Amino acid sequence: MSRRLDERREAYQRYKRDVNERGKPFYPYAMFHDTVMSLVVVSVIAALAVIWKLTAEEEPDASGALGVLYGEEADPGTTNFIPRPDWYFYFLFYLLRIFKWPDSVILGTVGVPTIALMLLLALPFIDLRRERKLLRRPVAIVAAILTVVSMGVLTYKGATARESLGTEAVLAVPEWVEQQQLPQEAEAGARLFAESSCLNCHIYLGSGAANLGAPELTEIGASNKGVDYFRQYVANPAKFGNQRMPPFQGLGDENLRNIGIFLDASKGPK
Amino acid sequence: MPRRKSARRQKLEQLIAYPIDWLEERSGLIGGLRYFLLRKVPGDTSWWHTLGSATLTAFIVQTVTGVVLAMYYKPDPDKAYESIRFITDDLTFGWLVRGMHRWGASVFIILMFFHMARVFLFGAYKYPRELNWIIGVLLLVLGMLEGFTGYLLPWDQTAYWATVVGINLNGTAPFLGPFLAQFLQGGAEIGNETLSRFYAMHMLLIPGGLFALIGLHLYLVIRLGVSSPPWSPEAAGEERVEAPPEGRAGLVQPGPRGGYAK
Repeated sequence: MSRRLDERREAYQRYKRDVNERGKPFYPYAMFHDTVMSLVVVSVIAALAVIWKLTAEEEPDASGALGVLYGEEADPGTTNFIPRPDWYFYFLFYLLRIFKWPDSVILGTVGVPTIALMLLLALPFIDLRRERKLLRRPVAIVAAILTVVSMGVLTYKGATARESLGTEAVLAVPEWVEQQQLPQEAEAGARLFAESSCLNCHIYLGSGAANLGAPELTEIGASNKGVDYFRQYVANPAKFGNQRMPPFQGLGDENLRNIGIFLDASKGPK
Repeated sequence: MPRRKSARRQKLEQLIAYPIDWLEERSGLIGGLRYFLLRKVPGDTSWWHTLGSATLTAFIVQTVTGVVLAMYYKPDPDKAYESIRFITDDLTFGWLVRGMHRWGASVFIILMFFHMARVFLFGAYKYPRELNWIIGVLLLVLGMLEGFTGYLLPWDQTAYWATVVGINLNGTAPFLGPFLAQFLQGGAEIGNETLSRFYAMHMLLIPGGLFALIGLHLYLVIRLGVSSPPWSPEAAGEERVEAPPEGRAGLVQPGPRGGYAK
């Protein structure tokens, strides 16, 4: 071990001697390359901005070659907007489809990214050989190819994925109806519940996530508080002393009523 | 005649040298700059080595355009969207500044990955440059956090709903997750508090970290030197059988620790 360290120290001393004896000064040689490259970078960024502006019309959602100038203003009451992160988070976005709610989602959100980050940080301590020539580093080549391919595939899949998490949950609605023996008039509320952001915090029959201390709602109707109670609660939870859940007044009266019917009918699987 | 001219030139040179000497005597900055510019790099340093400074350039573009945007942007859910529209549609060259900030972010992230790939392929993270690799990984993480926090600021539908999901993803982490989600959200709903928080993190906290780490990163690059391309027959530091050719004479040799050997 210490022989290896000595070898590395010796190689670095040799590096410093070589650079001193045969190197070239940073200015003007390397600085010339750096300056040209920097000008290219600034030009590319400016060109992207110009293309973005010139090809997009000045109306919200009118898309140009590089997308819209701005979308419609944020509306917390929207029930079916498909959330989309910036492209460099697509891989994470798609990992969430591989690892499903709720049991294994943590592998996608925390597990895989944490392991990847740990490996990156530990790389100089895992690879202790002095060899730098790529063809003599087979493990490094394979790891690099696997990383690039998997990130590329995940990013591509994330970019082309169409359905939102909400519409995935909608597929579970018929199952809910059967297991919970929901009446016909509760189905509209069930669909709305699945499409809206409810499952981001609540669990319903194994779908969704428990966030911010939100309770599971599978048997919420067993309390027999009535449709009206749930309607008012969802519209403004703060009135009932709940400061954590956001108000959903924006859904509108009819939607709130449907949600109320659905929650009241949810009395647990028979 | 020639003597008078040389006296005049001498005076002129003194006039130019005076402020430089004044600064050098009191700060040592001129010597530092000379060391930075004239330090030797391996003779086979090439275009491959420009990816780091290219990333730095993209970061500087983000800083400059970000400062201009901050002069017109209003981090308030009632005004944010309108201020973005104003910047894009009405402000002179506002579209260019915002467009460069928006696309500069993507270019910055891409260049970070390219730079990282170059360092990996060159094996340049090996002794004694391990610490600089780690700082680089932290810079990548901070850069992506800038992307996450900046995405909310335009306050349009995409921004809002992507952040809803993003905050909920943080919430799935064990133990700390719910606290982290609550911290990011700031209140009962994604609104005023969330936007202020994201704005403060995007403008102050994360850039502060980026500036500090970039400074350290550059210090280590200058202190340790850059690696030769591994395939180069002239690669600095490789064992060679034949005797090394004679060094080039004439140029000022940087001494150890920034001093100058005359």
